[in-house]
Amino acid sequence: MAFSAMKEKYSSQVHTVVLGATKEEGGTRDYTITVGGEGALPFLHFEGEVPHRPVVALEVWDVVPEWHESLAPYFGDVYNDPAAWAKKCVMEYNADLVVLRLKGADPDVADASPEDCAKVVKDVLAAVGCPLIVLGCGNPEKDSKVLPAVAEATSGEKLLIGVADQENYKSITAACIVHNHNIIAGSPIDINICKQLNILITEMNLPADRIVIDPTTAALGYGLEYGYSIMERARIGALQGDKMLAMPIICNVGHEVWRSKEANASSEDYPAWGDQANRSILWEATTAAALLQAGANILIMRHPKALALVKQNIEELMVPTSFDD
Amino acid sequence: MDKVTVLFTPDNVAVQVEPGTSLLQAAGLAGISLVSSCGGDGTCGRCLVKVEDGHVRVAETGNLSKKAKQSGLVLACQSFVESNVVIGIPSMSRLTEHQVLLDENQLMEEDIGTDEGFFFRPLCRVVELTLSPPTLAENVADWERLQTALRNVIDCSDIRISLPVLRRLPELLRTDDWRVTVIVAQMNDCAEVVDIAAGHVQKELNLYGLAIDIGTTTVAINLIDLKSGLPVGQKGSYNRQASFGDDVISRIIHASEASGGLPELQSAVISTINDLVAELLQLSNIDAHDVRMVTVAGNTTMTHLFLGLSPKYIRLEPYIPLAASTPAVRASELGLNINPAAYVVCFPSVASYVGGDIVAGTLVTNLAQEERIILLIDIGTNGEMVLGNKDWLVTAACSAGPAFEGGGITFGMRAMKGAIDKIKVDPATFDVQVSTVGRCKAQGICGSGLINCLATLRAVGIIDRTGKLQTDLSTPRLRQGDDGWEFVLVYGNDTAHGRDIVITEHDIKNLMRAKAAVYAGIRSMLQAVQLTEDMIDCVLIAGGFGNCLNIRDAITIGLLPDLPTEKYRFIGNSSLKGARLALISQQAWQEAQLLGSKMTYLELSAGNEFMDEFMSALFLPHTDMTRFPSVTNLK
Repeated sequence: MAFSAMKEKYSSQVHTVVLGATKEEGGTRDYTITVGGEGALPFLHFEGEVPHRPVVALEVWDVVPEWHESLAPYFGDVYNDPAAWAKKCVMEYNADLVVLRLKGADPDVADASPEDCAKVVKDVLAAVGCPLIVLGCGNPEKDSKVLPAVAEATSGEKLLIGVADQENYKSITAACIVHNHNIIAGSPIDINICKQLNILITEMNLPADRIVIDPTTAALGYGLEYGYSIMERARIGALQGDKMLAMPIICNVGHEVWRSKEANASSEDYPAWGDQANRSILWEATTAAALLQAGANILIMRHPKALALVKQNIEELMVPTSFDD
Repeated sequence: MDKVTVLFTPDNVAVQVEPGTSLLQAAGLAGISLVSSCGGDGTCGRCLVKVEDGHVRVAETGNLSKKAKQSGLVLACQSFVESNVVIGIPSMSRLTEHQVLLDENQLMEEDIGTDEGFFFRPLCRVVELTLSPPTLAENVADWERLQTALRNVIDCSDIRISLPVLRRLPELLRTDDWRVTVIVAQMNDCAEVVDIAAGHVQKELNLYGLAIDIGTTTVAINLIDLKSGLPVGQKGSYNRQASFGDDVISRIIHASEASGGLPELQSAVISTINDLVAELLQLSNIDAHDVRMVTVAGNTTMTHLFLGLSPKYIRLEPYIPLAASTPAVRASELGLNINPAAYVVCFPSVASYVGGDIVAGTLVTNLAQEERIILLIDIGTNGEMVLGNKDWLVTAACSAGPAFEGGGITFGMRAMKGAIDKIKVDPATFDVQVSTVGRCKAQGICGSGLINCLATLRAVGIIDRTGKLQTDLSTPRLRQGDDGWEFVLVYGNDTAHGRDIVITEHDIKNLMRAKAAVYAGIRSMLQAVQLTEDMIDCVLIAGGFGNCLNIRDAITIGLLPDLPTEKYRFIGNSSLKGARLALISQQAWQEAQLLGSKMTYLELSAGNEFMDEFMSALFLPHTDMTRFPSVTNLK
């Protein structure tokens, strides 16, 4: 007997967001990246279109990061040079795009001025041709000064700038509108706040197709399932026609995973856990793989090998399965 | 130890108390009721008094500002008398003349009894009887003879009489040749001869009843002439239990945890009623002895406290009241100053948080006879609601908190004189104009004022949809206060107390929670019966807001569903109306008994439905803006 698959029909799809702008479009990027647009739950190609594959980004910091020593062989030589670091991420490690984290702006780190931060961003833009994601230092007050300055200095580049939350969304949104960038709207694992922030931002007249949501995730073993279920709800909402939940999703995977004990504990202290280097890579890749299934569109990774594994996973998942023949 | 004297000004009332007595208790003894939202926990900061002379021991200053402390203000509940003192009571700390919802316009001469399809037949009435005299052959006893005659008139076989009346029976029967006038109380299937007079004297006999609505905040009373069914007078005031806390929960805690708490609360409400009744009787020159029947509608906790029943387990999961329906009791058992033998009956409750007041409201609105789908909401401290029609009725209660009654709001107050009920904000300069109850200097903001405030602040962009004050706006009215950011509604030189009246971000969040709870309650109930908002034909708004509430404002902030305003109707104090209806119609009283058991109670705290709805309602008007098209389109 012929098998016929039960198919879910959805009335709507995820918004698409274009990251980066080429010379013709008013920026300086070699190419742009489009994310979103899915008309089905993740990778269910037989139920709807999945027009754009999820993309992976690698982290670059503007100050020397206090990262685990096992990452030093990959980035240690460029820790001091964000531009070279970014280049390495793209050329050597095949990152789709680069995330520049302006940690140095943090008053408790280097308290870099908005102008200095803008300069680092411009240096990185000059070094690579891929679209760029810029994250603030995490101090809302400082970010609301730094990010608008960055937005102004890079006007027209269609950066993805974040993270805007309920406290500081106004200044960041205004800067993104004026200087033609995209924004990351961050919410604390809360579907309502996620949606509310999207409403607030769109009501300031930033179009919905320039918002990417960061629903906040956790590493495997640290509450991943909470973030997962929120993402799933957002996706289902989007497919059922909720425009204010229909933004592509970004997940800060590396940052979360590298805070976990499992990524950092030495093999000597935990011999039963196996080799730390492999373990951390797998921990990061596994977390990312789960988030892909939840509906992530952009994954921010830290370890190049984890990135490679996830890229391979994405390639495999993007091969359409069809029950129609 | 010797007693010490506390003199209260400007009243000039002195009381003798034991040292160690709190000023709050002392004020109570002096007959002065202070505002005490938290019930004497030292947390609400409302019972401010000024030590004018002498010294008190201050245990806690709570959240008092430095300025207040310097000016000699203390919390009455946390300050204890040690020696003779003189205490000044600022007007803002005083529970004063209360605007209680009595529905002067709506209630008075409405023809209750015919409109609702209930027959006029009071629970207590006067009947003239002519008995056939006994003979040697027909030698039935006097009382049985009276019973037989009565049975021809009233539809009841179980007729009783009290011993004192029985003792007077033989002479009365024979005084006017077996013609007598009897007063009969009849409830359900049982009647009692409560008094007898010789001869046919219906005209000369007076018979009155009381319909009482006991609210958590206010008590309202109707004095009814039971011979005609017409109201003689009405009065209302704040419930004196308010000194033991603003909401039912703090009352329950006081009743179950403080020693002597339960009798204290009972006597507080009884004395509130007694004072109101005394005034009513005096005004209309009626003898207390002629008041022989009382119907009482109140929420479950109020009914418990009125009868002196312990409400302890109402508060504890799984929230079980002591009794849903309570027996008829004598006025003397409760200490009501009317005819001691008068019967007092209370409306049955549905559940712990859906009480007799809601049953009374359902009765008087005739909800259970309607073809159309009706939603009845009583927005008080506890937002109770009933949804349904003649075929089904569901009810639920959501804890909205006291915000709409002014509780938990920095300058919140009940709708008393000086309460801001409406504001106007200039969108360019952010200057504010306010209107107040009684058109006097502003003292605080009442519930409808707060709702209007929220809608207005949102409309001019002073708050965003999350309720956050937009601190980047340039107006001196937005400033950092003791409690975070605040917006000045009225500057001190225009207020009754000289302090700036502000609304803080914290207040706004409290209001948002209250409105979210009410809306989430409505949604959860609709979902339980699989209906959508537009299937509601009519929304009846009962309770404290009365006609003050602007429906448009309420929809704008997402408190009420976005339905055409024509679908909304104010019904005022439906609890009092229901009590009055039952008092004059046995049929209505019987229906009330049935209603209590007919209504299906939805426990909103079971399951996640309500919480999910609540969280998404914490936005102006709502996270799902498609539910409020008329609000969204305004933009």
